[in-house]
This record gives sequence, C-alpha cells and structure tokens, in this order.
Amino acid sequence: MYRNLLLGLLMGIAGQAEAQKNPFDTRIDVRMGQRVFRAECGRCHGRDAKGNDETGAPDLTTGSFSAASTEAKLFEVVRDGIPGTTMIGIGWAPDETIWQVVAYIDSLNLNPDDVDLPGSADQGQKLYNGKGNCTSCHMLGGSGGRLGPDLSTVGNRRDPDELKEDLLEPNETVLPRWWTMRITRADGSVTEGLRMNEDTFTLRIMDKEENLWHFSKSQIRSSKRTETSTMPSASETLTMSEVDDLVAYLFSLRKES
Amino acid sequence: MRHLAFAFALFSFVRMAAGQEQETSRENQPTPALKPVTWERLLNAANEPENWLMYSGTLDSQRFSRLDQVDKQNVSNLELKWAYQIPEIDRAETVPIVVDGVMFITESPSNVVAVDASTGRPYWRYDHELPDDLRICCGRNNRGVAILGETLFMSTLDAHIVAIDARSGSLKWNTETADHRAGYSKTAAPMVVKDLVITGIAGGEYGIRGFLDAYHADSGERAWRLNTIPGPDHPDNRTWAGDSWRTGGAATWITGAYDPDLDLIYWGTGNPGPDWNGEVRMGDNLYSDSALAVNADSGELEWYFQFTPWDVHDWDAIQVPILADLELNGEMRKVMMWANRNAFYYTLDRETGEFLVGTPYAKQTWAEGLDEKGRPIRRAGKLPTPEGNVVSPSIGGGTNWWSAAYSPRTELYYVNAYDGEQEFFIREQEYREGEQFTGGGAQNVKPGDTYKSAIRALDPRTGDLRWEFEIKPRSTSGLLATAGDLVFGGTVDGYFFALDAATGEELWHIGVGARVHSAPLTYSVNGEQLITVAAGNVVFTFGLD
Repeated sequence: MYRNLLLGLLMGIAGQAEAQKNPFDTRIDVRMGQRVFRAECGRCHGRDAKGNDETGAPDLTTGSFSAASTEAKLFEVVRDGIPGTTMIGIGWAPDETIWQVVAYIDSLNLNPDDVDLPGSADQGQKLYNGKGNCTSCHMLGGSGGRLGPDLSTVGNRRDPDELKEDLLEPNETVLPRWWTMRITRADGSVTEGLRMNEDTFTLRIMDKEENLWHFSKSQIRSSKRTETSTMPSASETLTMSEVDDLVAYLFSLRKES
Repeated sequence: MRHLAFAFALFSFVRMAAGQEQETSRENQPTPALKPVTWERLLNAANEPENWLMYSGTLDSQRFSRLDQVDKQNVSNLELKWAYQIPEIDRAETVPIVVDGVMFITESPSNVVAVDASTGRPYWRYDHELPDDLRICCGRNNRGVAILGETLFMSTLDAHIVAIDARSGSLKWNTETADHRAGYSKTAAPMVVKDLVITGIAGGEYGIRGFLDAYHADSGERAWRLNTIPGPDHPDNRTWAGDSWRTGGAATWITGAYDPDLDLIYWGTGNPGPDWNGEVRMGDNLYSDSALAVNADSGELEWYFQFTPWDVHDWDAIQVPILADLELNGEMRKVMMWANRNAFYYTLDRETGEFLVGTPYAKQTWAEGLDEKGRPIRRAGKLPTPEGNVVSPSIGGGTNWWSAAYSPRTELYYVNAYDGEQEFFIREQEYREGEQFTGGGAQNVKPGDTYKSAIRALDPRTGDLRWEFEIKPRSTSGLLATAGDLVFGGTVDGYFFALDAATGEELWHIGVGARVHSAPLTYSVNGEQLITVAAGNVVFTFGLD
C-alpha cells in the first residue's frame, strides 16, 4: 500500500516535470547549473560539454539531444540517466539543482534573437549559391557536393564567431574526417582524397571525383596524411562584408528544437 | 504435496541427466565439471593453463598463459567459436574467469552469469538488486569475480561484496563495505588470498576516504581494513593539510597481486581528492597514487612507493602490479613492474619497495624526470589553472587501468600507451557528501586522432622501448601474453588482434564491431585453446578452425 502510494507520488512529480517549463532558468541558475555540470557531468561530457570520444558522451552544445526533445524530458534524463546506456542521472540531487543543470545546458545553445549579426542572410544565401561556390563541395538540404561537411545544421554546431573563423581561417579547426590522405599503391599508382575513416589496419577515402576507396594498409606502399583544409580562405574570394552575409546565412540554418 | 514436488523434481532430474547423456554421446566429450577451487589451486594457477582462475590469471598478475597451441604460425586461422550477448547495453569491462569448463562473466551493472566455456550457453545468472541512488563517476561497470572453493565473490556498485554459489547462482552472503550514498562504489574483481577475499573501493571523485578490505570467505565478516589515508594518530597524516585527509580519495579500484613467499599483497591507490585542486590538500597526500605492500594476515602496511606526490592531474596509480623475478645488474631481484598513469614506467624491488628503474614510456611534459629515489622532479608551470593549462599525459594518462602483461619467455613488459594531452583547470569547490568533489576538470585540445596510441614492449631492466605497434585511433584494452609468443589486444573502434611478442608484428586481426575495453584471456576445453575478449556488450570466444 505504502509502496503504491509512493509510486503514485513519484509519478505525480514526474508528471509535473513533464508539463513544466524550467522554473529555475535565471542567470544565477545557469551559473549554479554550470558548477554542478562541471562537477557531475564534465568527466564524461567534457568540461566544455562538447563531448568526449573516449567516453562516448555526446556534444551537448548543439541544442539537439537524441534522448530529449523538451526541457521536461531533459530534466528526466539529467535526473534518471538513459537506461541501458552509460548515461547515469543525478537523481539524488534536489529538483532545483537538476533544473539548474538543464538551464545551463540550454544556455549552451545560442538564442538567435540574442545574436547581433552584421550581415544579411538573404545576401549570404545568394553568395552561397553563387560567388562563394559553396555548393560545389558542401551538401545543404540534400543537394550540393560531398567534398566538405554537410551544412544543413551548421548553425547548431557553430556560433557566428566560429563560422567566421571557419571561413577566414579554414586550417584552424579541421576535423580528422576532412584531413587528406595520399595513398601510394604497391604498383606506384597514387590516389588522393578525404580521410573518411582510418583505423589500425585499413583506411577509406573519397577522391575528388567523389569515388569511394578502401585500402588495406598491408597492401599499399605508403600513405601520407595532410591535416590542413581543402577549402580556400574566404578572404581570397569575398569581401569582409560578404563574409558577414555568408555567416548570417549559415547561422540562419539552425534547426530549433 | 511435498511428495508430488519431490517426484516432479526427481523426474526433471532424470530427464535432465538423460538429456545430458544424449548430448555427451553425440558430441563425444565429457560434461564440464566444476571442481572446488582450493587455495592450492589458486597458488599454482599457472600450472593449469586450461583454466583462468582469477582476474589477472595468476597471483603474480602477469597475464601470461602457458598455453601454446595457438602460436605465431597458426594464429591467422583463429575464428569465432561463440558469442555471448550481455543483456544490459553498456561498455563491458569484464574479464571472465574459467573453471573446469565453466566461464563466469560479470555484467553491467552488477550481475554475473555462468556459461559453458565451450559454447557460451548459460547455466545460471545472478542479478544483483541495486538502489536507485548510486553515485558512480564512470559508468555502470563490473570487471570480474574471484573464486574460492565453490563460491564466487563479486563487487557491486552499491559498495557491497557478495558471495554467490558457483554451481547455482544463489546468494550466500552480502556484506555492505561502505555507504554508497556518500560516494562509495565497487567495480573491481576481488582477489582471494588464503581464506580471505581482498577487495578495494571506488569513489575517488566523491571525496571518499579510500581503504583496502579483507573479508572471511566463509562468512563475509571483515577480517581487516587498511585505510589508504592514515588517520591523525599516524605521522603520514601530516602529508595532508588540515582536515583534507578526511575527503582525500586514494581509492583502490583495480585488482592487485600477491607474493606467497613474502606473504605480501600489492595494490595500487587512486588520485587524491579533490582531483585537480591541490591547493586545499597541500603535502604529498600519502598514500594516494601509490603502490602498497600489505601483510596478508594483518592488513598492515609493510611499505609504500608513491608515484605521484601531490597529484593535481588525476593520475591514479590504478594499474595491476606485475610480479616477476629478474636478473638486474648480475643479481636476481624480486621485482614489481608498473607503467603508471603519470607516463613513467617503474621497476621496484617488491621486498622493500626500493626504486630500481624509472623512465617515461609515453609522452609527458610535467616532470624533468625522476630522482634517485624515483620521486618525480616537477617542471614549473604545469599545474591546472583557472584559464586552463595544457599538459601531457591527459587525464586518462600514459596508460590507465587497462591490464599490462609480461612474458617470461621474451622477458618483455607489454603496455597500452597513449601520447595524449589535455587542458587542465582548477576551481574552488566545497565538499558535500555524496556529490562529486573534483575541484576542476580537463578538456580536449585537439581531436583524438591527432595523438599517438600504441602497444609498447618495454625491457623491465631498463625501461627501454623494444618495439611498438601503433594503433589508430587508439586503444583502451588490456593485454594478454601467451607461450605461443603472442600478445593479444583490442582497439576502441572494434578490432581484436594478435602481435608477435618478440617483434610487435601484427599476425591476425578481426573486426568485433565495438570497443574492446576489457582484457583478453585464454583457456582450453577438451584440448582446444580458446581466446576470449569482451567488446561492446558481447563476449567473443575464438579458436582454431
């Protein structure tokens, strides 16, 4: 009887959370949430919440979560973890603390209304499809090239400052997926392409013609890796004002949760 | 009614026996028989390589098997014999043990299953009931069981140790070792020494006070406890500023080793707490980040060797000590080999704790080197800062808890090494019971693919690198060495492989689809050598075709 009563109460509280918007989302709450996050969650998700290859914990700064599409659901995940995975909750903490963590995670995802963009997204779209020649390498909404990252949700992954740096200093941050590999086969022939995946024994690349190649390392003569970007700096082709327009357009490609 | 139940049970038994007979005659092989594992058997585990009787195979923890059916010539013929799916999806860290044809596999969160070692088919399972307010820093893991007689001993996430009947899976006793609500938990395989179950504790990120415990195998009553942070009545307590010793960590979350001649247990201790803020615990912080030599009967500390005094980077000395007798400078020495998370390799005299050899085996930027006693000479400007400070190795270390291995045939020590770096931060933090107490953190500087990961073979007489096998992107697996002159290991992206123990040449690999985050083991059934490893949440067993 007591157990059923307790269960009912718990379900009632969970139900409240389901219906509730975050009651603890002031700037102070965000600060408090950050402290708890860094202590309790940072070990797996990283102190900067950008995820960690080693632990398999995802990036929480994108505003998009595979296990939580609402604040209430995010509250549940922070409280209970995700059953059957390594994600554990902090259910021992008071609800207020859990909401503060939710507030902090929410704060990692920029509110577009709070961002002052000097450029014009409409102009940026024209540049994207025209002078910028972005479509030759980048996919967007299912069309475009395959020799650069898909930009359909780039506005979630990168803030305007980062987008500007990506355009002007493309070699600053090059993810391993976009490194270049030059493969020399046993017969001396060479294939060069983007490093789609490399492991201890094999590697896979995409060449300029977008052909997919698989190599066994034991069967090639050599491989050479270049960690710079294949994209030219936008400073070579666009004015700074045009760069701002392109940033505004790319940032507008956010998918709001 | 009771008669009816008895008749039914008898009928079932007769049917089961008949079924077994049919199965036996069909496969023309004897039914596996679990014989009691006496202390004598554990002492001489190396002499029965058909079994894998404890976490590291033998009490010296060499992770070396005398089995040589699988060797350099035929290892490329290894093929999958069976796979066992762990029902709870997690990252298996289990090292199963094998006893006379029965394999005992621990599962996330704190369960154990007994399977036939030749087919992977289950006999029984034990599911441990856990509270819903666990405090665990790093996943719902369990790394294995120990056995004595017909009883298994397992750590649980709620900081209990349980004894389970090895034939039926029934619970025999269940002892709470500490309060899980204060941040204590248990993940490591216990180790049996004589009639005692030796077991450590986890929780170094929660401001616990670490200890090493011994429990009577028959009753579950505690025989002794060694606090890894001495109390105020001990002079070493002064190595902790103020009351910081009360929340200083020094957990014992991986399994140790034992020398029967010296009657000493060797066990590593974890980081001091809070992990990254050393300002609140000035001093050497004994006995954190240390190797402890403990009298097996009394639990008294015989000697210690601290690898990283006043650690501010979370470099636990949570590695399995490997014991061997080596000729050093013309003299036979009883040594302990230890590649530490701080990126230095050490050979110590295990009778006295004397420092014999020490040299970096992975990239490190925090120390100029080691002095004549093995104490690190710190480099200036390498402490965590509020703005972040890049230091090698990373939090995960030059290596971590992943078991190293030693082959007496090659006299090489094999370790899974990582040349990483991270940016370390410090911050102020109040201790609150049951909450993480870390005083900072770390974050990645570059993508993981940038850094080098390798299996390295070291000469324990000098620490010199003999060979390395580079891994991309990296490995977090333990290693196994065999008399077939092979070293087995795995990768984070799901390879399991075999290397030539003398040269590091790759001889065989297979895709297993998920991270190998445990250590392989080998055993034999009906004369066939088998090799087992957990990857993802599957336990795979390979044999020759």
